[in-house]
Amino acid sequence: MLNELILHISDLITVFFPLDCMEPEFMRRAMLGLLLIAPLAALSGVQVVNSRMSFFSDAIGHSAFAGVAAGLIFSIPVEFSMPALALVIGLLIMYLRRGSHLSTDTVIGIIFSAVVALGLAIVSRNREASRGVNMFLYGDILTIGDDEIALLAVLLVAFLVFQFFAWNRMLHISVNEQIAGVHRIKVSVYQYLFAALLSLVVILCVRAVGVLLVTAILIVPAATARNFARNSRQLFFFSLIFSYVSCAGGLLISAQRWAGVPAGAAIVLLACSLFAVSFAAARIRPK
Amino acid sequence: MTSGTETSADAVRFEHVGLVLGENRILDDVCAHVPRGKFTAVVGPNGAGKTTLTLAILGQIRHTGKILFPGLDEAGQSPRFGFVPQRLVFDRDIPMTVMDYLLSGIQRMPLFLGRSRRHAERVMQYLDEVECTRLADHAFGALSGGEIQRVLLAQALLQEPDILILDEPTSGVDFKGGQICCELLRRVREKRGFTQIMISHDLATVTAHADHVICLNRKVFGEGEPRVALTHQVLSETFGLHLGLPDLHGIPRDVRECPEDCPLRHEHEHLHDHCHVDGPEHGCACGHHDHGHGKETGHAE
Repeated sequence: MLNELILHISDLITVFFPLDCMEPEFMRRAMLGLLLIAPLAALSGVQVVNSRMSFFSDAIGHSAFAGVAAGLIFSIPVEFSMPALALVIGLLIMYLRRGSHLSTDTVIGIIFSAVVALGLAIVSRNREASRGVNMFLYGDILTIGDDEIALLAVLLVAFLVFQFFAWNRMLHISVNEQIAGVHRIKVSVYQYLFAALLSLVVILCVRAVGVLLVTAILIVPAATARNFARNSRQLFFFSLIFSYVSCAGGLLISAQRWAGVPAGAAIVLLACSLFAVSFAAARIRPK
Repeated sequence: MTSGTETSADAVRFEHVGLVLGENRILDDVCAHVPRGKFTAVVGPNGAGKTTLTLAILGQIRHTGKILFPGLDEAGQSPRFGFVPQRLVFDRDIPMTVMDYLLSGIQRMPLFLGRSRRHAERVMQYLDEVECTRLADHAFGALSGGEIQRVLLAQALLQEPDILILDEPTSGVDFKGGQICCELLRRVREKRGFTQIMISHDLATVTAHADHVICLNRKVFGEGEPRVALTHQVLSETFGLHLGLPDLHGIPRDVRECPEDCPLRHEHEHLHDHCHVDGPEHGCACGHHDHGHGKETGHAE
């Protein structure tokens, strides 16, 4: 039933993208996956940039290696072990950041190193795992499965509900945590919830663009939106637009014969090109 | 000292409050009180524990002893706080107007869906109280230090606080001077009826505007009405080497306290309103302190 539903929805993709390259089913699924990833990446990216958490998302992305390794050790599917480990790592970083005197960079740096080293250690001892590592290193949206699409859809709903209630408060917290706390905003609740959701978003985005580029898909559309936006509302919509254009445009470009590049690289290159144009435009026409 | 003697007239009471960080004793057996609905200034040198004391009031740091909120503790409630920090360090590139920032603290509906008219009107009302309505649609990150302090004051007032805490709001910012800041706060306080606690280094401003002063240097060396409490002995004990201050006891609290023989007494009464608005550095011609008082501290209230 899930398969039929996704098939039906992915058929609709051809209505919006009536292109030859969209005829193969795997392309329509990939586009569907990216259309779910785009808002997740855009909105979490806005808060990652506002709260200066790009290193955090980088660490979560790199936990993919350890997630694969954990799946092999405990004989559980990597589709489950990766998000589970990412969630644990994300909450652990937030706990240490809030509860210790260590700087955020130091906390993340230590955990980042530990998860990468653990992943590499286990992967190097297991041939099966080392074959799968490339997929997470560079991403492979073209092989996205029904379960992953369903998981993205559920996460998107949860994330949008969170944004509905937390967008304003997260903005307030990003300006000054202390003032927000004094003014009766439950800072720790919002931060833990965001860390949990961000961890899941990052690890699912790894599927699309790979560990190396996952931070880019989050922060570049948000940074581009900053160059144009004058207020919080514009920031929200501009980041969505730039994220959608980058994800959909990147996939379409990667499908062209003349391009011959992986989807992940095309998406991030397009996003960075849009940033470069926005940066130049902002310099010419100050906000 | 009068600590612990007041009851319902107090908004806050410190009972043997102590705090040790590492090997440093930051607060040592602090006993003092903060009168309800009044302006209490906490004065002391750098490192005296003033900011730590405010953090203790706000419940953001663990301490020994008790900090009581008479009237609220009995009802099992905690006070509503408004807080203005000394300096706001934030990402000035966040695309956000002043209105966005102020709404983000009170509006439930996410800002990407628009502004609630009711909340926007409330924000404008508070911006008007701090004389900043013109800044509503300005980028928050583009404001000057003084403008940010005013917006933060509006933000704190929006909480409709029982207790407003300000951590040296006039230090290093263009806030049209400490006198104007205090005058603005007095007007709002009289209208809203909150208790104001302000950390300050500026003894002249404290003397002229505060109703109550707590002299802190790890311990409380004195408290009470400024003109009474700020004796040379208390100042020497609090600040260590006391380099000499203007004769604080001679500062008139109000123009009506002008000596009968002051030749410009009637003119003062006329000019004093302008002093309130524009401040001495903005061209006030009042010669108040050169006639009859002869003090060097500038305007008193």
